Amino acid sequence: MVSPSPLNRFSLPNLGIGLGLRTVHYAHILEHAPAVEWFEILSENYMQTKGRPLHFLDRVAERYPIAMHGVSLSIGGTDPLNRAYLAELKALRDRTKALWVSDHLCWTGVAGKNTHDLLPMPYTEESLRHTASRIRQVQDVLGAPLALENPSTYVEHAGNTMTEWDFLAALAKEADCALLLDVNNIYVSAYNHGFDAADYFAAIPFDRVVQLHVSGHTNHGTHIVDTHIGPVIDPVWELLGQAYRATGASILLEWDAEIPSFEETHADALRAKEFIVKAAS
Amino acid sequence: MSTSSLRDVQMWMVAAITGTEADAKPQDVERYVTAGPRLSASGRFAIYRSGYHARLVECLLDDYPVLAAMLGEDQSDALCREYIDRHPSASPNLNAYGRHMSSFCREAKLESFPGFDAIRGFAADLATLEWALVEVLHAETAPPLEIAELQAMAPDAWARARFIRSDALRVFRFEYPVNAVFIANRIDEIVPEVPGPAPNALAVYRKDTQLWRMELTPAMVGVLEPLVAGKALGEALATVEADESNPEVLAETGANLMVWFREWVDAGFFTRIEVDAPPPTDPGPDPDPGS
Repeated sequence: MVSPSPLNRFSLPNLGIGLGLRTVHYAHILEHAPAVEWFEILSENYMQTKGRPLHFLDRVAERYPIAMHGVSLSIGGTDPLNRAYLAELKALRDRTKALWVSDHLCWTGVAGKNTHDLLPMPYTEESLRHTASRIRQVQDVLGAPLALENPSTYVEHAGNTMTEWDFLAALAKEADCALLLDVNNIYVSAYNHGFDAADYFAAIPFDRVVQLHVSGHTNHGTHIVDTHIGPVIDPVWELLGQAYRATGASILLEWDAEIPSFEETHADALRAKEFIVKAAS
Repeated sequence: MSTSSLRDVQMWMVAAITGTEADAKPQDVERYVTAGPRLSASGRFAIYRSGYHARLVECLLDDYPVLAAMLGEDQSDALCREYIDRHPSASPNLNAYGRHMSSFCREAKLESFPGFDAIRGFAADLATLEWALVEVLHAETAPPLEIAELQAMAPDAWARARFIRSDALRVFRFEYPVNAVFIANRIDEIVPEVPGPAPNALAVYRKDTQLWRMELTPAMVGVLEPLVAGKALGEALATVEADESNPEVLAETGANLMVWFREWVDAGFFTRIEVDAPPPTDPGPDPDPGS
């Protein structure tokens, strides 16, 4: 693929075009060792287990570069950081030698109750200070930059005092963290909230972006849900091309439900090349 | 927004997402979130409310596919929703979320599921089996005991031998024939009628990456159950011998014990053998120091 030197300030490498590691593809990957450049794992799938998931993960990690992507850090939550979770996250990173760890700009629950959803933050100064402080604590535990992903959201808080893109940029600077830019999430949230994706792009500090996500979604007409189902639509690929041109970051296709064969999933991921060239021309 | 107000927003939002419709009144929703270009504030917020239940129901259906098939879509959904209300997740990880299902089936009063009382025993047994498969999938496995270690054991050591079980082994006595139901649904792809009681026993285990189930005769479980509970073989056999209610069990045990052990070792039920020290021999009366 077109592979400029990584442009991020963390000197994290461009791994190329990767896929989310999914259980339905384990057998194919281990039997055929396909020419995928890297895999992203869903961290929680390999935590709270000592059994079969780790058996497969170890074999994949022997052959491919790995990055870790979580959904339960609850970096914006107001419950204390879950130290046991963090310790297990770090142990998993040590086990897989993951090149970086990412999670979402969100919170997942409060008062001990976990919704297992990526709930939207109020974009305020208070949230900014609170979340930046927690990111710094997490990075201290991990001993590495945390890459924070912009979420898909379906509501905006009435108390917001800034846009998501201004919040994300300010947060990354305040916490000195990396970013995982999900171009599908920008597309989804732009549709749901009525903003222009170009405004989002204009604010992003691209030198902090170490990874790009791209995926399918489900459009219900009144709103789009970030389902990670189906092939990526061209407007999202075009955003990916623009983001890659600005960042030279590793690209990852997420496909989480109604997952097709490995070959079909990989073929969709490789469409990224077409849009990288298009964005560069 | 003060520090407490961020907390307050989060407390309200979780209560409104996980609670009843009364916990998400439109006037409250509009106070906290804005309308979008195509949906009202309540319409947007409903996406999170429906997503919460859908996500946890999906998790439970993933762990309990046969139970769900046996109950049917509406009733399994009702069961899951009552489970979710009773057992909200408190963990960052969903791997163990469904662990209470068997006890929930056995004890819960399910207002949205009339007729559940008639099948709760069966449902609880089936949930036990399906959860065991989840547990052994996630269990750590040590290298299994080799058959050569069994063969090398001195004859007089057998009675004192404790067979340390694999963490990826569970042994159950069921009131209902849930393994037959499991096979019918997962292998034959049919949904059988809910069966009547028929006591049986089953081992659920993982060997390498594969999950297995082994049906156990009354004689087999009579020996295996005390062994996995940590008793020495001699103690386990004494328990079998002490039960005079079924002489066939004793005869079957005597005839097949070594065959069972080969089968169990081959299946990876045990990881090692620990042999208790022999009991001290009686030295007899002290010699009379005065003689």
